[in-house]
Amino acid sequence: MSTPIKVLVEGVGPQGDAWKGMLQEKGFLVQSIEEAGDGLDVQFALEVTNSDLTIKRQRVQKLDQMLPTGIPLLVTTLAVTATEVASWTRHPQRVCGFGTFLPLEEGNLIEIAPALQTDPSILAQAATFFSALGKETEVVEDEVGLVFPRILSLIINEAIFALIERVAEPEDIDQGMKLGTNYPFGPLRWADRVGLDEVYSVIDGLHREMKEERYRPAPLLRKMVLAGWLGEGVGRGFYTYEIEKEGNYAKQS
Amino acid sequence: MEIKRVGIIGAGTMGAGIAQVCLQSGYQVFLCDANQQVLDKAKGSITARLQKLNQEDTLSNLNLITQIVDLASCHVVIEAVPERLELKRAIFQELAQVCSDDSLLLSNTSSISITEIAAGIPHPERILGFHFFNPAPVMPLVEVIVGYQSGQEEAEQALQFAAKLGKKPVKVKDSPGFIVNRVARPYYNEALRIVGDGIASVEQIDRIMTGAGGFKMGPFALQDLIGIDINFATTQSVYQGFFQESRFKPSRLQERMVQAGTLGKKTGGGFYEYTN
Repeated sequence: MSTPIKVLVEGVGPQGDAWKGMLQEKGFLVQSIEEAGDGLDVQFALEVTNSDLTIKRQRVQKLDQMLPTGIPLLVTTLAVTATEVASWTRHPQRVCGFGTFLPLEEGNLIEIAPALQTDPSILAQAATFFSALGKETEVVEDEVGLVFPRILSLIINEAIFALIERVAEPEDIDQGMKLGTNYPFGPLRWADRVGLDEVYSVIDGLHREMKEERYRPAPLLRKMVLAGWLGEGVGRGFYTYEIEKEGNYAKQS
Repeated sequence: MEIKRVGIIGAGTMGAGIAQVCLQSGYQVFLCDANQQVLDKAKGSITARLQKLNQEDTLSNLNLITQIVDLASCHVVIEAVPERLELKRAIFQELAQVCSDDSLLLSNTSSISITEIAAGIPHPERILGFHFFNPAPVMPLVEVIVGYQSGQEEAEQALQFAAKLGKKPVKVKDSPGFIVNRVARPYYNEALRIVGDGIASVEQIDRIMTGAGGFKMGPFALQDLIGIDINFATTQSVYQGFFQESRFKPSRLQERMVQAGTLGKKTGGGFYEYTN
Protein backbone atom coordinates (compact mmCIF):
# COMPACT_ATOMS: atom_id res chain seq x y z
CA MET A 1 0.00 0.00 0.00
CA SER A 2 1.33 3.42 -0.92
CA THR A 3 1.84 6.08 1.71
CA PRO A 4 -1.15 8.41 1.90
CA ILE A 5 -0.69 11.84 0.34
CA LYS A 6 -0.58 14.56 2.98
CA VAL A 7 -2.71 17.62 2.29
CA LEU A 8 -3.05 20.79 4.29
CA VAL A 9 -6.57 22.25 4.09
CA GLU A 10 -7.42 25.77 5.27
CA GLY A 11 -10.67 27.63 4.86
CA VAL A 12 -13.48 29.27 6.76
CA GLY A 13 -17.02 28.76 5.51
CA PRO A 14 -18.72 25.62 4.26
CA GLN A 15 -15.97 24.49 1.87
CA GLY A 16 -13.32 23.94 4.56
CA ASP A 17 -15.05 21.01 6.26
CA ALA A 18 -16.37 19.69 2.97
CA TRP A 19 -12.91 19.40 1.40
CA LYS A 20 -11.41 17.90 4.57
CA GLY A 21 -14.16 15.29 4.65
CA MET A 22 -13.87 14.41 0.98
CA LEU A 23 -10.06 14.09 1.10
CA GLN A 24 -10.15 11.91 4.22
CA GLU A 25 -12.75 9.69 2.62
CA LYS A 26 -10.51 9.24 -0.42
CA GLY A 27 -7.58 8.17 1.78
CA PHE A 28 -5.61 11.40 2.00
CA LEU A 29 -3.99 12.47 5.26
CA VAL A 30 -5.50 15.87 6.04
CA GLN A 31 -3.89 18.44 8.32
CA SER A 32 -4.62 22.00 9.41
CA ILE A 33 -1.93 24.63 10.01
CA GLU A 34 -2.20 24.04 13.77
CA GLU A 35 -1.82 20.27 13.44
CA ALA A 36 1.06 20.58 11.01
CA GLY A 37 3.02 22.83 13.40
CA ASP A 38 6.51 23.65 12.22
CA GLY A 39 7.16 20.44 10.35
CA LEU A 40 5.20 21.10 7.20
CA ASP A 41 5.92 18.05 5.09
CA VAL A 42 2.63 18.07 3.14
CA GLN A 43 2.56 17.51 -0.64
CA PHE A 44 -0.34 19.89 -1.39
CA ALA A 45 -2.01 22.81 0.34
CA LEU A 46 -5.61 23.93 -0.29
CA GLU A 47 -7.09 27.28 0.71
CA VAL A 48 -10.88 27.26 0.20
CA THR A 49 -12.25 30.40 1.87
CA ASN A 50 -14.68 32.32 -0.38
CA SER A 51 -16.81 34.67 1.69
CA ASP A 52 -14.08 36.68 3.44
CA LEU A 53 -11.20 37.76 1.22
CA THR A 54 -9.31 39.43 4.09
CA ILE A 55 -9.13 36.10 5.88
CA LYS A 56 -8.33 34.32 2.62
CA ARG A 57 -5.42 36.67 2.04
CA GLN A 58 -4.06 36.12 5.55
CA ARG A 59 -4.30 32.35 5.23
CA VAL A 60 -2.74 32.27 1.78
CA GLN A 61 0.17 34.47 2.92
CA LYS A 62 0.72 32.33 6.00
CA LEU A 63 0.73 29.15 3.92
CA ASP A 64 3.11 30.73 1.43
CA GLN A 65 5.51 31.58 4.25
CA MET A 66 5.34 28.17 5.91
CA LEU A 67 5.39 25.83 2.92
CA PRO A 68 8.54 24.84 1.01
CA THR A 69 8.58 26.78 -2.29
CA GLY A 70 7.83 23.82 -4.57
CA ILE A 71 4.61 22.74 -2.82
CA PRO A 72 1.50 23.60 -4.89
CA LEU A 73 -0.87 26.05 -3.24
CA LEU A 74 -4.31 25.31 -4.70
CA VAL A 75 -6.86 28.06 -4.00
CA THR A 76 -10.56 28.36 -4.69
CA THR A 77 -11.36 31.19 -7.09
CA LEU A 78 -15.11 31.60 -6.54
CA ALA A 79 -14.75 35.21 -5.37
CA VAL A 80 -11.36 36.31 -6.70
CA THR A 81 -9.07 35.45 -9.60
CA ALA A 82 -6.17 33.05 -9.13
CA THR A 83 -3.93 35.78 -10.52
CA GLU A 84 -4.93 38.11 -7.69
CA VAL A 85 -4.40 35.41 -5.05
CA ALA A 86 -0.98 34.64 -6.55
CA SER A 87 -0.13 38.34 -6.36
CA TRP A 88 -0.53 38.17 -2.57
CA THR A 89 2.32 35.63 -2.28
CA ARG A 90 6.12 35.61 -2.59
CA HIS A 91 5.99 32.48 -4.72
CA PRO A 92 3.16 33.19 -7.18
CA GLN A 93 4.28 30.46 -9.60
CA ARG A 94 3.08 27.76 -7.16
CA VAL A 95 -0.46 29.14 -6.87
CA CYS A 96 -3.19 27.57 -8.98
CA GLY A 97 -6.94 28.23 -8.89
CA PHE A 98 -9.81 25.73 -8.85
CA GLY A 99 -13.35 25.47 -7.66
CA THR A 100 -16.86 24.14 -7.65
CA PHE A 101 -19.96 24.42 -5.50
CA LEU A 102 -21.05 22.11 -2.68
CA PRO A 103 -22.01 19.37 -2.22
CA LEU A 104 -18.65 18.07 -3.44
CA GLU A 105 -19.75 14.46 -3.81
CA GLU A 106 -22.48 15.30 -6.33
CA GLY A 107 -20.47 16.90 -9.13
CA ASN A 108 -18.07 14.67 -11.01
CA LEU A 109 -16.00 17.50 -12.49
CA ILE A 110 -13.65 20.12 -11.02
CA GLU A 111 -12.62 23.25 -12.88
CA ILE A 112 -8.98 24.29 -12.66
CA ALA A 113 -7.90 27.84 -13.50
CA PRO A 114 -4.18 28.64 -13.55
CA ALA A 115 -3.12 32.18 -12.65
CA LEU A 116 -1.08 34.14 -15.20
CA GLN A 117 1.88 33.37 -12.92
CA THR A 118 1.23 29.61 -12.46
CA ASP A 119 4.13 27.33 -13.39
CA PRO A 120 3.06 24.60 -15.90
CA SER A 121 4.37 21.85 -13.59
CA ILE A 122 2.12 23.13 -10.79
CA LEU A 123 -0.88 23.06 -13.13
CA ALA A 124 -0.04 19.47 -14.06
CA GLN A 125 0.18 18.49 -10.38
CA ALA A 126 -3.17 20.16 -9.69
CA ALA A 127 -4.80 18.16 -12.49
CA THR A 128 -3.29 14.91 -11.12
CA PHE A 129 -4.46 15.77 -7.60
CA PHE A 130 -8.12 16.28 -8.59
CA SER A 131 -8.07 13.22 -10.85
CA ALA A 132 -6.97 11.20 -7.82
CA LEU A 133 -10.26 12.22 -6.18
CA GLY A 134 -12.10 10.50 -9.01
CA LYS A 135 -13.12 13.79 -10.61
CA GLU A 136 -12.83 14.83 -14.22
CA THR A 137 -11.09 18.14 -14.72
CA GLU A 138 -11.39 21.02 -17.17
CA VAL A 139 -8.70 23.68 -17.34
CA VAL A 140 -10.28 27.09 -18.00
CA GLU A 141 -8.88 30.61 -18.13
CA ASP A 142 -8.70 32.53 -14.87
CA GLU A 143 -11.85 34.49 -14.11
CA VAL A 144 -13.87 34.98 -10.90
CA GLY A 145 -16.33 32.14 -10.31
CA LEU A 146 -14.96 29.90 -13.07
CA VAL A 147 -17.78 28.54 -15.30
CA PHE A 148 -20.32 26.47 -13.32
CA PRO A 149 -20.41 28.56 -10.13
CA ARG A 150 -20.60 31.75 -12.23
CA ILE A 151 -23.49 30.63 -14.45
CA LEU A 152 -25.49 29.04 -11.61
CA SER A 153 -24.98 32.08 -9.36
CA LEU A 154 -26.35 34.39 -12.05
CA ILE A 155 -29.40 32.14 -12.54
CA ILE A 156 -29.97 32.28 -8.76
CA ASN A 157 -29.43 36.07 -8.77
CA GLU A 158 -32.11 36.46 -11.45
CA ALA A 159 -34.52 34.25 -9.51
CA ILE A 160 -33.97 36.50 -6.47
CA PHE A 161 -34.60 39.65 -8.50
CA ALA A 162 -37.89 38.05 -9.66
CA LEU A 163 -38.70 37.23 -6.02
CA ILE A 164 -37.95 40.81 -4.92
CA GLU A 165 -40.31 42.08 -7.63
CA ARG A 166 -43.02 39.66 -6.39
CA VAL A 167 -43.24 38.09 -9.85
CA ALA A 168 -44.02 34.77 -8.18
CA GLU A 169 -43.76 32.84 -4.92
CA PRO A 170 -40.46 31.00 -4.23
CA GLU A 171 -42.10 27.59 -4.72
CA ASP A 172 -43.53 28.68 -8.08
CA ILE A 173 -40.18 30.06 -9.27
CA ASP A 174 -38.52 26.76 -8.38
CA GLN A 175 -41.28 24.62 -9.84
CA GLY A 176 -41.28 26.68 -13.04
CA MET A 177 -37.56 26.20 -13.58
CA LYS A 178 -37.60 22.50 -12.76
CA LEU A 179 -40.55 21.70 -15.02
CA GLY A 180 -40.01 24.33 -17.71
CA THR A 181 -36.28 23.81 -18.24
CA ASN A 182 -35.53 20.48 -16.59
CA TYR A 183 -33.06 21.93 -14.08
CA PRO A 184 -32.08 19.40 -11.39
CA PHE A 185 -33.19 21.85 -8.66
CA GLY A 186 -35.14 25.08 -8.60
CA PRO A 187 -32.70 28.01 -8.30
CA LEU A 188 -33.78 29.10 -4.81
CA ARG A 189 -33.65 25.56 -3.43
CA TRP A 190 -30.28 25.19 -5.17
CA ALA A 191 -29.02 28.36 -3.46
CA ASP A 192 -30.04 26.86 -0.10
CA ARG A 193 -28.03 23.71 -0.85
CA VAL A 194 -24.91 25.55 -2.07
CA GLY A 195 -25.00 28.20 0.66
CA LEU A 196 -26.15 31.76 0.07
CA ASP A 197 -22.79 33.11 1.26
CA GLU A 198 -21.03 31.13 -1.45
CA VAL A 199 -23.44 32.34 -4.15
CA TYR A 200 -23.07 35.94 -2.97
CA SER A 201 -19.26 35.59 -2.98
CA VAL A 202 -19.32 34.70 -6.67
CA ILE A 203 -21.68 37.49 -7.79
CA ASP A 204 -20.06 40.15 -5.61
CA GLY A 205 -16.63 38.98 -6.80
CA LEU A 206 -17.67 39.26 -10.46
CA HIS A 207 -19.15 42.70 -9.78
CA ARG A 208 -15.94 43.87 -8.12
CA GLU A 209 -13.74 42.38 -10.84
CA MET A 210 -15.71 43.41 -13.96
CA LYS A 211 -17.19 46.65 -12.63
CA GLU A 212 -20.33 46.00 -14.66
CA GLU A 213 -23.98 46.53 -13.70
CA ARG A 214 -24.64 43.08 -15.24
CA TYR A 215 -23.14 41.48 -12.12
CA ARG A 216 -25.03 43.52 -9.52
CA PRO A 217 -26.01 41.24 -6.63
CA ALA A 218 -29.72 41.15 -5.80
CA PRO A 219 -30.12 43.22 -2.60
CA LEU A 220 -32.20 40.51 -0.91
CA LEU A 221 -29.33 38.03 -1.36
CA ARG A 222 -26.94 40.36 0.46
CA LYS A 223 -29.48 40.97 3.24
CA MET A 224 -30.05 37.25 3.76
CA VAL A 225 -26.29 36.66 3.99
CA LEU A 226 -26.03 39.47 6.56
CA ALA A 227 -28.93 37.94 8.50
CA GLY A 228 -27.15 34.60 8.56
CA TRP A 229 -29.90 32.89 6.54
CA LEU A 230 -27.39 30.93 4.52
CA GLY A 231 -29.54 27.96 3.53
CA GLU A 232 -29.83 24.31 4.42
CA GLY A 233 -26.59 24.26 6.44
CA VAL A 234 -28.04 26.60 9.08
CA GLY A 235 -31.67 25.50 8.81
CA ARG A 236 -32.93 28.65 7.09
CA GLY A 237 -32.58 30.19 3.64
CA PHE A 238 -35.33 30.65 1.08
CA TYR A 239 -36.94 27.65 2.76
CA THR A 240 -36.71 26.43 6.35
CA TYR A 241 -35.24 23.09 7.32
CA GLU A 242 -35.84 20.99 10.38
CA ILE A 243 -32.97 19.18 12.04
CA GLU A 244 -33.45 15.47 11.36
CA LYS A 245 -30.38 14.22 13.14
CA GLU A 246 -27.17 15.89 14.07
CA GLY A 247 -25.59 17.54 11.08
CA ASN A 248 -28.45 16.63 8.76
CA TYR A 249 -31.37 18.78 7.77
CA ALA A 250 -34.58 17.85 5.99
CA LYS A 251 -36.54 20.34 3.93
CA GLN A 252 -39.54 21.49 5.95
CA SER A 253 -41.25 24.19 3.91
CA MET B 1 -69.16 28.08 -13.93
CA GLU B 2 -68.37 24.51 -14.85
CA ILE B 3 -65.97 24.31 -17.75
CA LYS B 4 -67.18 21.86 -20.41
CA ARG B 5 -66.40 23.47 -23.76
CA VAL B 6 -62.94 24.79 -24.60
CA GLY B 7 -62.09 26.84 -27.67
CA ILE B 8 -58.61 27.05 -29.12
CA ILE B 9 -57.68 29.67 -31.70
CA GLY B 10 -54.78 28.84 -33.99
CA ALA B 11 -54.20 25.26 -35.15
CA GLY B 12 -50.41 25.38 -35.50
CA THR B 13 -48.06 23.18 -33.45
CA MET B 14 -48.99 24.75 -30.10
CA GLY B 15 -52.72 25.01 -30.84
CA ALA B 16 -52.92 21.38 -31.96
CA GLY B 17 -50.92 20.26 -28.91
CA ILE B 18 -53.20 22.20 -26.56
CA ALA B 19 -56.29 20.78 -28.29
CA GLN B 20 -54.93 17.27 -27.72
CA VAL B 21 -54.36 17.99 -24.00
CA CYS B 22 -57.95 19.28 -23.68
CA LEU B 23 -59.37 16.24 -25.49
CA GLN B 24 -57.41 13.90 -23.24
CA SER B 25 -58.88 15.67 -20.22
CA GLY B 26 -62.43 15.06 -21.45
CA TYR B 27 -63.44 18.50 -22.74
CA GLN B 28 -65.51 19.36 -25.80
CA VAL B 29 -62.92 21.08 -27.99
CA PHE B 30 -63.54 23.70 -30.67
CA LEU B 31 -60.35 24.17 -32.66
CA CYS B 32 -60.56 27.37 -34.69
CA ASP B 33 -58.35 28.46 -37.56
CA ALA B 34 -59.15 30.64 -40.59
CA ASN B 35 -57.31 28.17 -42.80
CA GLN B 36 -59.15 24.85 -43.35
CA GLN B 37 -55.95 23.13 -44.56
CA VAL B 38 -54.18 24.00 -41.31
CA LEU B 39 -57.17 22.57 -39.40
CA ASP B 40 -57.09 19.34 -41.38
CA LYS B 41 -53.37 18.95 -40.81
CA ALA B 42 -53.84 19.58 -37.08
CA LYS B 43 -56.59 16.96 -36.90
CA GLY B 44 -54.27 14.51 -38.64
CA SER B 45 -51.46 15.00 -36.13
CA ILE B 46 -53.82 14.92 -33.13
CA THR B 47 -55.43 11.72 -34.44
CA ALA B 48 -52.05 10.04 -34.94
CA ARG B 49 -50.89 10.91 -31.43
CA LEU B 50 -54.17 9.89 -29.75
CA GLN B 51 -54.15 6.58 -31.61
CA LYS B 52 -50.68 5.86 -30.26
CA LEU B 53 -52.06 6.48 -26.77
CA ASN B 54 -55.20 4.38 -27.45
CA GLN B 55 -57.35 7.44 -26.77
CA GLU B 56 -58.85 7.96 -30.23
CA ASP B 57 -62.37 7.72 -28.73
CA THR B 58 -61.88 11.29 -27.47
CA LEU B 59 -61.68 12.49 -31.10
CA SER B 60 -65.49 12.60 -31.23
CA ASN B 61 -65.21 15.68 -28.98
CA LEU B 62 -63.07 17.55 -31.53
CA ASN B 63 -64.87 20.19 -33.59
CA LEU B 64 -63.05 22.07 -36.36
CA ILE B 65 -64.32 25.57 -37.01
CA THR B 66 -63.16 28.57 -39.07
CA GLN B 67 -65.07 31.43 -37.41
CA ILE B 68 -64.50 32.93 -33.98
CA VAL B 69 -68.24 33.49 -33.66
CA ASP B 70 -68.64 29.71 -33.39
CA LEU B 71 -66.76 29.85 -30.07
CA ALA B 72 -69.69 31.70 -28.44
CA SER B 73 -70.69 28.79 -26.21
CA CYS B 74 -67.15 28.06 -24.93
CA HIS B 75 -66.43 28.50 -21.22
CA VAL B 76 -62.71 28.87 -21.86
CA VAL B 77 -60.91 30.05 -24.99
CA ILE B 78 -57.14 29.68 -25.42
CA GLU B 79 -55.54 31.83 -28.09
CA ALA B 80 -52.44 30.32 -29.71
CA VAL B 81 -51.77 32.41 -32.81
CA PRO B 82 -48.38 33.86 -33.89
CA GLU B 83 -46.75 36.38 -31.53
CA ARG B 84 -48.11 39.60 -33.06
CA LEU B 85 -49.77 42.08 -30.70
CA GLU B 86 -52.28 43.52 -33.19
CA LEU B 87 -53.40 40.05 -34.32
CA LYS B 88 -53.92 38.96 -30.72
CA ARG B 89 -55.74 42.18 -29.79
CA ALA B 90 -58.14 41.81 -32.73
CA ILE B 91 -58.91 38.23 -31.66
CA PHE B 92 -59.58 39.21 -28.03
CA GLN B 93 -61.73 42.13 -29.17
CA GLU B 94 -63.91 39.69 -31.13
CA LEU B 95 -63.90 37.07 -28.37
CA ALA B 96 -65.06 39.66 -25.86
CA GLN B 97 -68.12 40.29 -28.03
CA VAL B 98 -69.10 36.68 -28.77
CA CYS B 99 -68.27 34.96 -25.46
CA SER B 100 -70.14 35.40 -22.19
CA ASP B 101 -68.79 37.89 -19.67
CA ASP B 102 -67.81 35.13 -17.23
CA SER B 103 -65.84 33.07 -19.76
CA LEU B 104 -62.08 32.77 -19.31
CA LEU B 105 -60.12 34.23 -22.23
CA LEU B 106 -56.53 32.98 -22.17
CA SER B 107 -53.50 33.73 -24.33
CA ASN B 108 -50.65 31.28 -24.86
CA THR B 109 -48.27 34.19 -25.43
CA SER B 110 -44.67 33.61 -24.43
CA SER B 111 -43.38 37.14 -24.89
CA ILE B 112 -46.17 39.73 -25.19
CA SER B 113 -47.51 41.51 -22.12
CA ILE B 114 -50.97 40.17 -21.23
CA THR B 115 -51.75 43.62 -19.84
CA GLU B 116 -51.21 45.13 -23.29
CA ILE B 117 -53.29 42.42 -25.01
CA ALA B 118 -56.20 43.04 -22.61
CA ALA B 119 -56.08 46.84 -22.64
CA GLY B 120 -59.38 48.45 -23.66
CA ILE B 121 -61.21 45.13 -24.06
CA PRO B 122 -64.53 44.77 -22.16
CA HIS B 123 -64.21 42.79 -18.91
CA PRO B 124 -60.40 42.54 -18.93
CA GLU B 125 -60.55 40.71 -15.59
CA ARG B 126 -61.27 37.47 -17.50
CA ILE B 127 -58.14 37.81 -19.69
CA LEU B 128 -55.01 35.98 -18.50
CA GLY B 129 -51.83 34.51 -19.93
CA PHE B 130 -51.75 30.71 -20.10
CA HIS B 131 -48.27 29.77 -21.27
CA PHE B 132 -47.73 26.15 -22.31
CA PHE B 133 -44.27 24.75 -23.10
CA ASN B 134 -43.47 22.88 -26.29
CA PRO B 135 -44.49 20.08 -26.82
CA ALA B 136 -47.70 20.94 -24.96
CA PRO B 137 -48.92 17.32 -24.49
CA VAL B 138 -45.60 16.36 -22.83
CA MET B 139 -44.37 19.38 -20.86
CA PRO B 140 -46.13 19.56 -17.46
CA LEU B 141 -45.72 23.30 -16.83
CA VAL B 142 -48.22 26.08 -17.50
CA GLU B 143 -47.38 29.65 -16.47
CA VAL B 144 -50.62 31.45 -15.56
CA ILE B 145 -49.89 35.13 -16.17
CA VAL B 146 -51.83 37.66 -14.13
CA GLY B 147 -52.05 40.97 -15.99
CA TYR B 148 -52.54 44.38 -14.44
CA GLN B 149 -56.32 44.12 -14.96
CA SER B 150 -56.74 40.36 -14.56
CA GLY B 151 -59.03 39.29 -11.71
CA GLN B 152 -57.74 37.26 -8.77
CA GLU B 153 -60.81 35.01 -8.87
CA GLU B 154 -60.31 34.44 -12.59
CA ALA B 155 -56.64 33.67 -11.94
CA GLU B 156 -57.71 30.97 -9.47
CA GLN B 157 -60.11 29.53 -12.07
CA ALA B 158 -57.30 29.44 -14.63
CA LEU B 159 -54.99 27.67 -12.15
CA GLN B 160 -57.70 25.09 -11.41
CA PHE B 161 -58.36 24.60 -15.11
CA ALA B 162 -54.63 23.96 -15.73
CA ALA B 163 -54.68 21.37 -12.95
CA LYS B 164 -57.72 19.71 -14.57
CA LEU B 165 -55.64 19.44 -17.75
CA GLY B 166 -53.12 17.43 -15.71
CA LYS B 167 -50.62 20.29 -15.71
CA LYS B 168 -48.62 21.85 -12.88
CA PRO B 169 -49.45 25.55 -13.04
CA VAL B 170 -47.45 28.39 -11.52
CA LYS B 171 -48.90 31.85 -10.92
CA VAL B 172 -46.84 34.70 -12.35
CA LYS B 173 -47.24 38.47 -12.34
CA ASP B 174 -47.12 39.92 -15.86
CA SER B 175 -43.46 40.84 -16.42
CA PRO B 176 -40.96 40.28 -19.25
CA GLY B 177 -40.11 36.62 -19.84
CA PHE B 178 -42.46 35.61 -16.98
CA ILE B 179 -40.49 33.12 -14.81
CA VAL B 180 -38.90 30.58 -17.08
CA ASN B 181 -37.71 32.63 -20.03
CA ARG B 182 -36.36 35.26 -17.66
CA VAL B 183 -34.58 33.15 -15.04
CA ALA B 184 -33.14 30.84 -17.73
CA ARG B 185 -31.48 33.73 -19.61
CA PRO B 186 -28.11 33.54 -17.79
CA TYR B 187 -27.78 29.84 -18.65
CA TYR B 188 -27.38 30.86 -22.31
CA ASN B 189 -26.28 34.47 -22.04
CA GLU B 190 -23.52 34.06 -19.48
CA ALA B 191 -22.23 30.94 -21.27
CA LEU B 192 -22.01 33.02 -24.46
CA ARG B 193 -20.23 35.78 -22.56
CA ILE B 194 -17.70 33.28 -21.17
CA VAL B 195 -16.98 32.00 -24.68
CA GLY B 196 -16.75 35.55 -26.01
CA ASP B 197 -14.24 36.44 -23.29
CA GLY B 198 -12.10 33.40 -24.15
CA ILE B 199 -12.47 31.83 -20.69
CA ALA B 200 -13.62 28.42 -21.93
CA SER B 201 -14.74 26.79 -25.18
CA VAL B 202 -18.27 25.79 -26.19
CA GLU B 203 -17.44 22.11 -25.68
CA GLN B 204 -15.79 22.75 -22.30
CA ILE B 205 -18.75 24.76 -21.00
CA ASP B 206 -21.19 22.03 -22.01
CA ARG B 207 -19.03 19.40 -20.29
CA ILE B 208 -18.70 21.57 -17.16
CA MET B 209 -22.42 22.37 -16.84
CA THR B 210 -23.42 18.71 -17.21
CA GLY B 211 -20.46 17.25 -15.28
CA ALA B 212 -20.09 19.73 -12.42
CA GLY B 213 -23.63 21.13 -12.38
CA GLY B 214 -25.81 18.13 -13.17
CA PHE B 215 -27.71 19.94 -15.94
CA LYS B 216 -29.13 17.46 -18.45
CA MET B 217 -27.83 19.39 -21.47
CA GLY B 218 -25.12 22.03 -21.77
CA PRO B 219 -26.16 25.56 -22.80
CA PHE B 220 -24.80 25.24 -26.34
CA ALA B 221 -26.18 21.80 -27.17
CA LEU B 222 -29.49 23.12 -25.82
CA GLN B 223 -29.39 26.24 -28.02
CA ASP B 224 -28.76 24.02 -31.04
CA LEU B 225 -31.84 22.00 -30.10
CA ILE B 226 -34.11 25.01 -29.42
CA GLY B 227 -32.88 26.94 -32.44
CA ILE B 228 -30.32 29.71 -32.02
CA ASP B 229 -32.67 32.20 -33.74
CA ILE B 230 -35.50 31.36 -31.30
CA ASN B 231 -33.15 31.67 -28.33
CA PHE B 232 -31.77 34.99 -29.62
CA ALA B 233 -35.30 36.36 -30.19
CA THR B 234 -36.31 35.43 -26.62
CA THR B 235 -33.24 37.19 -25.20
CA GLN B 236 -33.93 40.28 -27.29
CA SER B 237 -37.55 40.33 -26.15
CA VAL B 238 -36.62 40.09 -22.46
CA TYR B 239 -33.83 42.68 -22.93
CA GLN B 240 -36.28 45.15 -24.51
CA GLY B 241 -38.93 44.33 -21.89
CA PHE B 242 -36.50 45.35 -19.15
CA PHE B 243 -35.57 48.61 -20.94
CA GLN B 244 -32.10 47.36 -21.95
CA GLU B 245 -31.13 46.11 -18.50
CA SER B 246 -27.52 44.96 -18.95
CA ARG B 247 -28.12 41.56 -17.31
CA PHE B 248 -30.07 40.56 -20.42
CA LYS B 249 -27.83 42.12 -23.06
CA PRO B 250 -27.84 39.82 -26.12
CA SER B 251 -24.60 38.27 -27.36
CA ARG B 252 -22.89 39.42 -30.57
CA LEU B 253 -21.65 35.89 -31.20
CA GLN B 254 -25.23 34.63 -31.12
CA GLU B 255 -26.34 37.46 -33.42
CA ARG B 256 -23.63 36.57 -35.96
CA MET B 257 -24.77 32.95 -35.98
CA VAL B 258 -28.35 34.03 -36.64
CA GLN B 259 -27.12 36.30 -39.45
CA ALA B 260 -25.11 33.43 -40.91
CA GLY B 261 -28.14 31.13 -40.80
CA THR B 262 -26.35 28.52 -38.69
CA LEU B 263 -29.29 28.05 -36.36
CA GLY B 264 -28.62 24.68 -34.77
CA LYS B 265 -29.90 21.17 -35.46
CA LYS B 266 -32.61 22.34 -37.85
CA THR B 267 -30.01 23.75 -40.27
CA GLY B 268 -27.50 20.93 -39.77
CA GLY B 269 -25.13 23.07 -37.76
CA GLY B 270 -24.91 25.61 -34.98
CA PHE B 271 -22.45 25.37 -32.14
CA TYR B 272 -21.96 21.74 -33.20
CA GLU B 273 -22.13 20.05 -36.60
CA TYR B 274 -24.95 17.62 -37.34
CA THR B 275 -24.93 15.08 -40.13
CA ASN B 276 -28.38 14.19 -41.58
